[in-house]
Amino acid sequence: MTPAAEKIRRTLEPLARAPIPDDADASLFELGVLDSFGLMDAVARLEEVFGAKVPDADLTPRRFETLAKIEAYFTARAS
Amino acid sequence: MAHLAGLGHALPERVVPSPELAARLGVTEEWILGACGIRERRWISDGETAASLAERAARTALSRAQLTPAQLGAIVVGTGSAPRAFPGVSADLQRLLGAPGIPAFDVPLASVGGLFALALAVDLCPRTGPVLAAGAEEMSRVLLRAPLSKETAILFGDGAAACVVAPGDGPIAVVDVRLGSDGTFADALALSPGGPLVMDGRTVILQASRKLPAAIRSVLEPQGLSPADADLYVLHQANLNLLRGVARALGIGEERLFVNVDRVGNTSAASVLVALSEAAEQGLLRPGSRVVLAAFGAGFSWGAALLHVAG
Repeated sequence: MTPAAEKIRRTLEPLARAPIPDDADASLFELGVLDSFGLMDAVARLEEVFGAKVPDADLTPRRFETLAKIEAYFTARAS
Repeated sequence: MAHLAGLGHALPERVVPSPELAARLGVTEEWILGACGIRERRWISDGETAASLAERAARTALSRAQLTPAQLGAIVVGTGSAPRAFPGVSADLQRLLGAPGIPAFDVPLASVGGLFALALAVDLCPRTGPVLAAGAEEMSRVLLRAPLSKETAILFGDGAAACVVAPGDGPIAVVDVRLGSDGTFADALALSPGGPLVMDGRTVILQASRKLPAAIRSVLEPQGLSPADADLYVLHQANLNLLRGVARALGIGEERLFVNVDRVGNTSAASVLVALSEAAEQGLLRPGSRVVLAAFGAGFSWGAALLHVAG
């Protein structure tokens, strides 16, 4: 697991309403890990953790639906 | 700029408690409370419409402003559930009030419609004289024409509110109003004629949680104010969880939030004006206080207003 992936798991853990999946491509929404408000809080905390602001135009759920998408997005934003 | 000369609101008689809705939807009351914090909402019954509620609200607002319908210069109604594509609820309200001849039109932006109506009234009133800005909804009619969806049925309530906006100084000054829209998200919250309500809840929440704090700062910062300088926040009562998220984003305590979403649900375009009218009735618009209004709705569209109560 990459350091970014570990950071994401640690960030999501307190917000998760169901176990965070091992499969990085599993939908966090379909598994019930993040509801609408969990997603809202998750994005805010991930912005702090990665030191990267998500522009309003990028604030769509599909960008943050899986652990892999979250990692790809914030890795790109932070670089 | 302009001032608020009178406020009023009207809610349907019929109370729909969350346990009743939970049974219909196959969910628990606890699930509803966790999802939105709404314990009960009001739905219209036979004979009640958005326009009839708006008339009640308008007559209260006019009475408090010590005006008659004949003294109005325009009528602007925010709504998302007008029973006809055109003319809008404003036409029915104008007829019910008996105020022909002045311009009357709708702002079909659902949850932000009441705030847009107020903003338009602020700009119109120097030319037309006092303007009636209203928000009026019969969302239950929309919800009930398709199989109830738990995502939307738990949220919405019916209601109306009205505000007389008059030019010049007065007891509640409108210091500033800022509005915005982004049509990129037009399909994320939409209602086609006769169709079901379409709501991409995750996108709505993500965007609202960003746009509402930004809109609020946009009316405070030009005055040299920070969120801590506002005494009362009267926000669109979309969902208790969203209200709390906005408070966290602004770094203010929840005690500064006016909350009635638990009792009346999300009354969409009427919401922010119903909340402001209730806050006024409860004596919360204290002399010298700064009050922030903010709303987010279809479009997406959003906005905020800064009010100052005369000291």
